[in-house]
Amino acid sequence: MKSQSNINKDDSTTISRRQFVRGTAVAAALTVVPSRILAGRPAARPSETLHLACIGVGDQGTRDMKTFLDKPDVRIVAVCDVDSNNRDKARSIVNEKYDDDNCAAYNDFRKMLEEEKHIDAVLVVTPDHSHAPVSITAMKMGKHVYCQKPLTHTVYEARMMAEVARKHKVATQLGTVNQASEDSRLLREWIWDGAIGPVRQVHNWSNRPIWPQGIDRPTDKPPVPSTLDWDLWLGPAPYRPFHPTYLPLVWRGWWDFGTGALGDMGCYSFDTIFRVLKLGTPTSVEASGSAFSPTMWTELQANEETYPRASMVRWQFPARQDIPPVEVVWYDGGLLPTRPEELGQQKLDREGLLFVGDKGKILCAFSGGNPRLIPDSKMRAYKRPPKTLPRSIGHHQEWIEACKGHDPAGANFEFSGPVTEALLLGNVALRTRNKLYWDGPEMKVDGAAEANQHIHCRYREGWAL
Amino acid sequence: MEDECRSAKNDRKISRRGFVAGTAVAGAFTIVPRSVLGGSGRTSPSEKLNIAGIGVGGRGASNLAAVSSENIVALCDVDQKNAEGTFRRYPDAKKYRDFREMLERQKDIDAVIVSTPDHTHAAATVMAIKMGKHVYCEKPLTRTVYEARAVAQAARKAKVATQMGNQGMAFEGNRLIKEWLWDGAIGPVREVHVWSDRPTHSGKKPLWWAQGIDRPTETPPVPDTLDWDLWLGPAPHRPYHPAYVPFKWRGWWDFGSGGLGDMGIHNIAPVFTALKLGAPTSVNASSTAVYEETLPLASVVHYEFAARGDMPAVTLHWYDGGIIAARPKDLEDSREMPREDGLIFVGDKGKMLVTGWGGNSPRLIPESKMKAYKRPPETLARSIGHHKEWLKACKQGTPTESGFDFAGPMTEAVLLGTVCVRMGGRKLIWDSDNMKVTNLPEANKYLHYEYRQGWTL
Repeated sequence: MKSQSNINKDDSTTISRRQFVRGTAVAAALTVVPSRILAGRPAARPSETLHLACIGVGDQGTRDMKTFLDKPDVRIVAVCDVDSNNRDKARSIVNEKYDDDNCAAYNDFRKMLEEEKHIDAVLVVTPDHSHAPVSITAMKMGKHVYCQKPLTHTVYEARMMAEVARKHKVATQLGTVNQASEDSRLLREWIWDGAIGPVRQVHNWSNRPIWPQGIDRPTDKPPVPSTLDWDLWLGPAPYRPFHPTYLPLVWRGWWDFGTGALGDMGCYSFDTIFRVLKLGTPTSVEASGSAFSPTMWTELQANEETYPRASMVRWQFPARQDIPPVEVVWYDGGLLPTRPEELGQQKLDREGLLFVGDKGKILCAFSGGNPRLIPDSKMRAYKRPPKTLPRSIGHHQEWIEACKGHDPAGANFEFSGPVTEALLLGNVALRTRNKLYWDGPEMKVDGAAEANQHIHCRYREGWAL
Repeated sequence: MEDECRSAKNDRKISRRGFVAGTAVAGAFTIVPRSVLGGSGRTSPSEKLNIAGIGVGGRGASNLAAVSSENIVALCDVDQKNAEGTFRRYPDAKKYRDFREMLERQKDIDAVIVSTPDHTHAAATVMAIKMGKHVYCEKPLTRTVYEARAVAQAARKAKVATQMGNQGMAFEGNRLIKEWLWDGAIGPVREVHVWSDRPTHSGKKPLWWAQGIDRPTETPPVPDTLDWDLWLGPAPHRPYHPAYVPFKWRGWWDFGSGGLGDMGIHNIAPVFTALKLGAPTSVNASSTAVYEETLPLASVVHYEFAARGDMPAVTLHWYDGGIIAARPKDLEDSREMPREDGLIFVGDKGKMLVTGWGGNSPRLIPESKMKAYKRPPETLARSIGHHKEWLKACKQGTPTESGFDFAGPMTEAVLLGTVCVRMGGRKLIWDSDNMKVTNLPEANKYLHYEYRQGWTL
């Protein structure tokens, strides 16, 4: 609570310096707001500068912020973090870069969005469980959103993200940078060229989690660090006492906050798989996984706090036009697919993506990088098709241009929402350990009440989409 | 419980006939002819075996109860607390802590039942076999590949009656599987999927025992009732911790072999008998993090077997820790995929699903195929009961379903999977004749280990 008062004080100081801004700026309600030259801002600012606010500026958030800091057509106008250390560090970086002290700093994104009316767009790099509440609040206010992956924490949120983005006509982009890559395009061109015939199975494996999973909720209650607003960090998630086992980063393994290895990494590879195979809604998902807790010799207790240490998930997708049905199989925690014979003596990497077609196989790095037909002889013999797909101007630049009213970015929420839904259904299946038949339009699992409970989670009071 | 009480009463009756022990011919080398005495259903006292139990708590108690028609003459356990109930149930049996002492001192023992943790199976079994005792040993037959071969060899040489404790072998289902597969119900089988969710307990409940953890560092005092040094037996010394005993030793490399050695033996046995498998040609695997001390929390193991007679080469996929095989398309939506223990034979012409452990209740899937299937005549002999088979074998030299000639090679194959997992899942090419991994010599160090002083095979 101490931190709360500190931050309020900070916020008010920052804001008060800009009282006039609030009074004059036109809320970026509907679309790209042409920049205005205002007092206190660089006088020579180009007219199409995007006013960006960064929400969540921990390690990853700061990295992403720096990417935008280097963009000439972006101006970072505010930073926001529930940890004042992160927040202040980020503000210093921004101010140092611009050589001024104009960057606003908040710890509550709601307050920031309300007060900093000149914000055109937000960068959302919070833990998974806050992606949707933050992004949707912003989109409803007409802000463009760049959100880190995974798009959301729940299936329902993913659907909402796409719907709100569509309705409010804002420019969106998910942080799946690989979608802009050359390799993603090569894969599409080759497979559409029939390089391996119709694809009926895809194997995708990750060596994650690299954070703890399959553990129990801690029972000790260490004090909340003075710089952290724990209540705000929890956001919509059910209340629980602070513990360093949740943050930073390690929230990924907890059902209440993260999406496990599948959510962390799957969004990259699924972006590729969806584009290459033109996937939409799966018909079914089944999953199996290891125990929820390994440390049970003293006391045997049920545990459903964290994702298991290892899982295998299978999605069935129906036929699409002339493409046959396909099964996508996910492995994590160290599990691997059966070794393809074509590899000969070559090692199977701990992470990878394998497309199995009627006439051959393409093996790639985890997200689709470095694609090659196997064995090598087939790759050498393959006559590559012409490069017909348009290439990307860069993942971040795509979004900046979209914010300015140009083409939508590649991983916009209308594309990424359905991908995320399918992905997160895997976690629902993992949680219920059943085969789930998915009614996409109705957004429900047929005849499985337990599974439907996990399509969304109950928000704490004060939080809504 | 009622059965157990009744057994205990019988035992008391038996023990009153202590003289039998002195006169019975030890079933040392061969068949004891069965003489028909008394009325029908009665058993002549002279035909009773003198049985000793080694490891008599938990599973050991159940095994003794199953043979309590015989004379239970000696009981051995390193854990007085765990053995307490059994000790009380057989008041006339002599009590021991050290099986070596028991076997040396008590000469009237015809047969032993070994229900210790895995790491003591071989030492106890081989000693008993070499002394001419018949042996019933719990599964897995041994803790190491080398021990499995040594135990089978010793049994063959001594010609004693043996049975490994995978009681599923006596199931009706096990015979149906063979009769149907051999009848060509699903055509030649090239792929098999077998799983058990151990150490997980029913999917998302607690664990049966821990895996994927480090050795505990605290050194709590040894309970008064436990002889820790004897519990360790041939295994390297380490301080006592409740993480190992009772029961939770299965997850530790030094003592057990995880889900494979536990339910894996039960669930893989029907595959071995029906597909007439022997040694695999190679094994590869993947798993969660492999710990120095414990098996990983979950693993998937792939065994390759060469063609046998008119049966084609086959791949056996094993899953544990909660990971299971893909749901076959042939399984109707309305039917549950077994999550705890399951087995799927994939043939050229169909699939067979076995739900539960040990090979019971096989069904061709979908059910319409099962219904349409004209079952072949039941030509295979049905079991008289798993323990009874062994008792009969002890007395009459008849074969058992899971004698060590079968159980040894199967245990070797199963344990090779754990060696593979321990090697990070790297493919092991297996030279069974020479009992060695040919492509990865480092793996061979896990085929056996050096026993502590005072312990031999």
